[in-house]
Parts: sequence; C-alpha cells; structure tokens
Amino acid sequence: MILFGLEWAFPLVLLLLPLALLPWFNNNLDKTVAWTALVPHDPLSKTISLALKILSSVVIAALLFAIASPAVPERIVEGYGEGAEIVLLLDRSRSMDDAFAVGPQAATYSVGGDNSKRRVARTYLTEFVKKRPDDRFGFVFFSTNSINLLPLTYSKDAILATIEANSLGRGLSNTNLADALLNSALMFENQAYRGSRIILLVSDGGQLMTEEEMQQIATRYNEMNLSIYWIYLKSKQDMTLERTENDSILYSDLPERKVHEFFKGLGIPYRAFEAGSLEEFAEAMDEIDEQQYQTLIVEELVPHQPRADWFLWLALIAMLPLASSHLYSYWGVRKAHG
Amino acid sequence: MTLSYPRRIFLTALVMLIGLLLVVAALWLPPIDHDIEVMDSLFVIDITDSMNVEDARIGNSKVNRLDWAKEFTRQAILAMPCGSRVGLGIFSEARSLILMTPVEVCSNYHDLMQMLSQFHPSMAWVRSSEVSKALYTAIRQAKEITPQPTVVFLTDGHEAPPVHETLFPKFTGTPGEVAGVIVGIGGSDLLPIPKTNEAGEIEGTWAINEVMHRDVYASSRGDAAELNENRPRTEHLSSQKKSHLETVSKRIGFEFVSSPRSPQALMKEMRKISENRQQSVKYDLFVWLASTALILLILVFLPYSLFRRQAE
Repeated sequence: MILFGLEWAFPLVLLLLPLALLPWFNNNLDKTVAWTALVPHDPLSKTISLALKILSSVVIAALLFAIASPAVPERIVEGYGEGAEIVLLLDRSRSMDDAFAVGPQAATYSVGGDNSKRRVARTYLTEFVKKRPDDRFGFVFFSTNSINLLPLTYSKDAILATIEANSLGRGLSNTNLADALLNSALMFENQAYRGSRIILLVSDGGQLMTEEEMQQIATRYNEMNLSIYWIYLKSKQDMTLERTENDSILYSDLPERKVHEFFKGLGIPYRAFEAGSLEEFAEAMDEIDEQQYQTLIVEELVPHQPRADWFLWLALIAMLPLASSHLYSYWGVRKAHG
Repeated sequence: MTLSYPRRIFLTALVMLIGLLLVVAALWLPPIDHDIEVMDSLFVIDITDSMNVEDARIGNSKVNRLDWAKEFTRQAILAMPCGSRVGLGIFSEARSLILMTPVEVCSNYHDLMQMLSQFHPSMAWVRSSEVSKALYTAIRQAKEITPQPTVVFLTDGHEAPPVHETLFPKFTGTPGEVAGVIVGIGGSDLLPIPKTNEAGEIEGTWAINEVMHRDVYASSRGDAAELNENRPRTEHLSSQKKSHLETVSKRIGFEFVSSPRSPQALMKEMRKISENRQQSVKYDLFVWLASTALILLILVFLPYSLFRRQAE
C-alpha cells in the first residue's frame, strides 16, 4: 500500500497511531501529595513535563511507523550507458541441428549434437550478452509464424535463459525469414529512440522473399532506423555471400546470396559476417561487440528500498533524553527515599 | 495491586533503558539467515487448437482453456517464494518446445509475464496434438537442464490423431526419473473445437470429416472397418480427457491434478515430488525488536488509574 509516497508492508499498524496520545492521559508517575497548594509553582518543571510528554508521543509514533515497514517503492531511473538495443533472430530450422564447421561428410552424421550450429550459436551469444552490461535484448521466436517472444529487456537472466532454451531439442520444420524480419522490427514500435538498434540474425541459409515482403521490410527498417548484422554460418567452405571470380555455378542462385543482395540494397547500416569456423564466429561476435558502444539511454530499475531506519533513528533521538530523564529521576528518588 | 511511587519510578526507568537498547539493536543488528524451501519448475503449456474451447472457469467467467492455463501459470508464479525458478515452454504437434529455461521468479516476473502473454495458437508449427509424445519430449529436455526442474504440463489431454488403447507411443525413460505434474484443463462435456488458420486466427470449428477418428494403426489395418464399426465418431469434439491423462501420468510417473481451483493445490503436489532446494534469505529482526520496545512503552503509559477508579 502506498501512503505519503512510501510503500508500507504492514499499513494496518498505522491504525494504532492514537496510542501515541497515551502519555497525555495518565498520571502513573504522579506523587500523591496531601495538599497540592503546598507544591511550589515551578514553570521550569512544567516545561520539562510537557517536553517529556511530547518526546514520549514521538517515540511511540516513530516506533509504529517503523513497524509498519515503509519503503521507497521500486522505480525506474533513466541514465546514460554505452551499448545498443539488440534483437536476436536465431534460425530454428532443422539444418541448424547439423554440426558446425566440420568436413563435408561428417556434417550429416551428428544431428543435434554438442557441436550443432544451434548450440555453437548459443555458446557465443551467451558470451556476447554477458559482455554487454547496458544493452537491452529482445528475442524473436523464429517459426512458421514468428512471435516476439521476449520483448526488449534489461534482464540478463531472462535473455540468457531464452538463448539457452533455444539450444534444446530439435529444430523446426518450417521457418519464415520475411515474417521474422518484419516482426523483429516491431519490437521497436512505439519506443523512444534510445540509441543504435540492431537486428542480429544468426542463420545458415537464406530464404526467398516475395517482392511485397521485401518492400515492407525496406520501409519498416528505414522508418525505424534499424541496422542488420548477419552472422552467416557457412555450410560449404568455399561459398561466399559475395560473388567471386572463380565462383561455382551452383552458388550463383542460392537464396542466401539473394538475401545478402537485398540487405545491401536496403540503404540501412548492414554487415555480414561469414563464419566457417568457431574462430570466425568468435571474431564476428567480438567485432560487433567493439563496434556497438554508442551512447544509449538506459532504464535502470531501482529496487524498493526499506526506510524503517528513518523512524528508528527518530525514535532513538527522542528516546535518549527521555530515558536519561527517567534514569535521573530514579536516581533522585532513590537518594530521597534511600 | 498498586505499586509504590519509588517502584513505579524504578520500573519506568528500567523500561526506558531496555527500550533504548532495543531500538539500538533494531538499527544495528545485522539481518539473520533464514532458510526457506524453493523449487525449480518448467511450465509447458498446450497451445493446440483444442485449447481454444471455452469451457474453463476463472471465478465466475468462462474462458478458453489456453487463457485459463496462462492465468493459472501466472498465479502459480506469484504464489512461489522469491528464489524459486520457473521456465516456460509450449507444446504443439508431437513435441514440447522449451522457450525459457528456469529463471528466478521475483526479479524476472515482468519478463516471464511478457513471454507468457505471447503464447498463442499461432505459434503452433503443425496442426496436430500428440499429448503423450509431447510429454516425453518435455521429460527429455528437462533432463538437459541443471538443476533439473519439475515439469508442470498444462493440457486438456486431447490427442489428435487419437491413440490406440494398447498401441500407444512408447515411453523409453524411467518413470518418475523426472518429477512432474499434469494439470488437466477443461470441462467434461464434448464441445466443438475452434479451428485456426495459418495466421492463428480462429475460423469456424473442426468438422466431423476433417479429423481422424481412429488411430493410425487401426485405420491402416484391413480389419479396421469391422473393428471400429460401432464406435461413435467424436474426435472433432473435445473435453478434458481425464482417464487418458491419468493413464499417461502413471506411465511416466507424474502426478495428475484435474482443474485445480487454486495454485495451492498444484504447489502441494509439486512439493511432494520435487527436489526442494534450501535457499537462505536475509531476515531483518527490526520489526520484532521495535514491537517489543513499543509494547513495553505502552505498558508504562497505560492509564492504570482509570481502570482502578472503575473497579472501585
């Protein structure tokens, strides 16, 4: 419950606040005097007695406030950091279950093993995420219909657990690249521009897209100021995304080349990293890591902070003169009666 | 009983001194460690078409089974103490797909809810629903996660295509090796199943001739016609398949809870079968110390003379 801008764990305790008036309604420490007229008029003692009553009230009230356990509620503070907002787009197709960076024959044997492309991607992405404290990450579920599974979040636990889960089990039979690209851009919809926005695509192939889809992607990516990084996991060592002189005729029409051409022509910042080995994959991740340290507006969640201490201090400060005065009267009375 | 004046002065001074010490202790005594039991779990939610049937209840309103499953998962997460960890997954076709491995519930509550809210029939990659096989994959994948979570599988038990009474998919694991609970969802009346299109939008319902009414074995056998002649054709309708879920849960060593009223019922089952972890939380004693000080002070300031006058 929020009261006076503070969050109270036990707000009902505050209903006991009238107890603070108790010191004004008792005469437990009054001395029975035969005839009050005999007591001399003493303004100082009146003031002291009044002060003690006030102090007692303050102590009781302060303790009640402390017991009700106030806290400053959790809040979001905007600050500046260095990094980027990155949406991860990990290919979940069956071919990602094949082993990464092995000779041409071996690739067909170990399916879904520890060195599958999906697991290798997991290992490097995990490392990458851990290195980047200020980044905000999102994750797209890449299937027939893609879903913005984990909207942009600062929680490293959440994104790492999602990357981890992505490496479990087998791949999916159908994936739709155009849909995934369109959806990942939507992660930034209605979001203030905070700093560089990246779509990080990790895949081992491309898909043909229709003219209409390409048009939509081009418009949306330009509107939202996105950049694309593509880590392309090569299945054939000599195949490159760029045309080469002694190109095999088989490669010229591959969908990945078409996707590459399309990305290049988008008019947005785009880089492709072709990884044929673990080292190359690691280098690609490092290069992205180095490049993407621009100023970024970051939101920091400040957890709720207990503030009972304030009231305990108040109780303590009021209690010190109160306790000393009572100890002093005890000393006085003992001398008189002793 | 009345106390003499010097006594009263003495007691007051004593209380003030103790009270002062208690407040000092409340301010400076470090928090103590307090052990609580937490567990790790993996919630796998059925997102197949039959989950769109509106025969589940939240309070007084009727909702579809998927919404019920999502709301129930949310409440279960809320009911868990901080330090517990929850992962999320979905089931469609013949397999479970883990989407987030277990994360701590309090610090990741927002992200867990964000992901849960995305669960929608359009995520289904194939429009079939083989519950038993999906359970087996959930178990296999739970084994790959450390520490191994308790599987909570939320489903209506509707198998499409149907399974044969004796020729069901084989479970190759050890029953009970992975602890788990099946949460049955849905009512007992057979209702039409909304049909989703490629984009996941609902378009009418599944018609009687659009679904398989016998299992793959029976329909491919020569004597099938004779064998199944008199069986009603109801596979295009769906209800909670309690007896099927009970059978499956026995086979894999899971518990089965049918339409639990509150997450507490599920938690009870889970606590019985899960490996609980001890998690120590810091516990500040200041409330107790300050309360003691307060009670002592109030005893000093109670207007005893009023009581006495009334008694006379």
